[in-house]
Amino acid sequence: MDIFNIYLLVSGIQFNVLLLILIGFCVGVLGGFFGVGGGWIVTPALNIFGFPMPFAIGTDLANIFGQSIGAVKKHHKMGNVDWKLGFISIITSVIGLEIGSETIMTLEKAGDVGTIVRWCYILFLFSVSSYMFYDYFLNRLKQSESKAQDQNKIPEKLHNINLPPMISFPASGIESVSIWIIFSIFLFTGFLSGFMGVGGGFIIMPALVYLIGLPTAIAVGTSLMTVLFSGAYGCFTYALKGRVELIAAFIILLGASIGAQVGATAVKYIKGYGIRLLFAIMIVFAGFSVVIEQIYKVSKVPFYQSFAGIILMGIAVTMSSIIIVKLIQGAIKEKNYS
Amino acid sequence: MKINKLMVLLVFGLLFTYGYSTTNEVNIKNSKQETTLNNKINTENLSGINLWVAKLYNNDRILYAIIVILVMASLGSIMAFGTDLVLKFFGMSVTRISHNE
Repeated sequence: MDIFNIYLLVSGIQFNVLLLILIGFCVGVLGGFFGVGGGWIVTPALNIFGFPMPFAIGTDLANIFGQSIGAVKKHHKMGNVDWKLGFISIITSVIGLEIGSETIMTLEKAGDVGTIVRWCYILFLFSVSSYMFYDYFLNRLKQSESKAQDQNKIPEKLHNINLPPMISFPASGIESVSIWIIFSIFLFTGFLSGFMGVGGGFIIMPALVYLIGLPTAIAVGTSLMTVLFSGAYGCFTYALKGRVELIAAFIILLGASIGAQVGATAVKYIKGYGIRLLFAIMIVFAGFSVVIEQIYKVSKVPFYQSFAGIILMGIAVTMSSIIIVKLIQGAIKEKNYS
Repeated sequence: MKINKLMVLLVFGLLFTYGYSTTNEVNIKNSKQETTLNNKINTENLSGINLWVAKLYNNDRILYAIIVILVMASLGSIMAFGTDLVLKFFGMSVTRISHNE
């Protein structure tokens, strides 16, 4: 398969074009569908297949920026982007992110910060996914008994806190909520993002649904909007540092921008709880891969590192396939109705 | 909608200015020593687009960053537009949706 290998100038390595397009396509589908950047898949995948880590991060950020443009536009067309909430989230998250990264710097002086971060990450992934599974199955149970309704009561309690100034988000159907609650939530998600070194979408999407109470599709669109801005910023700074492999980013984006459109369109055909369930399954596997990564750090057996990468790529390919199948089924169903 | 566009421009502007200033600080700190930030591509045996990218990377990092941003934004938009047409052809066009949970 040497004919598909290209030489990447900046990092000085050979890489398979088809692999780049496949990685891009899968991560694009997931990004458009879940409102995440997908850095947690692309960065380790590129790294495992031979990209030096800084180039993997920079190239991935360039791709995230490119793929998010079309997906945000599509979500906007479907009425899934709350711009006002998105802008507040960007500004507040930056402050949280700085606090998170400063905490890491402080912990770094004390010792092995990598292990602490990985365990926090594992705890976060399994806690969020457990709550999402609990919420999904509770809803299914209630659905079989009576009329379905959102079982999550946290947003209702938070909206009832009367701490002026109050703000409304008509695009998300939120009549009144204290601005301090919104600031606190995004400060917290920003902190987690900076502390764990992961992109915003992964944390913001569940926070928008379970803490602020947005409908899932709007949470996906709004989360993607914040990912677009953080991707643009990251892409620019990494390119300035010479850490973006332009040709590789270009090829990944060929697959990713198609995937992102497919993923964003699929949101139309899958109900909110369906999206939440798939998201929960995905982050459980992401959690497992981090556990295996931690085993590798302790045992130093290279097999575990490859295995962690295989799990991530495996879940990305499987989940993308499920989303595409659901999209096709939905489109056929829609055609039959009309 | 106009306010949204203004906000988009403002936030992008602020982010890029901040990004440039922080990166420049790192470059100034490292200017006296050869670091990985001063990475140069060997342009021997290169031709065509590869040579152009390599020269751009070696000679003007700010222009390189701007080109990266423009290329990613343009390709992302063009591919999204093309894919959207294909999806529409197969009956998968999108309009405002109702948010059913």
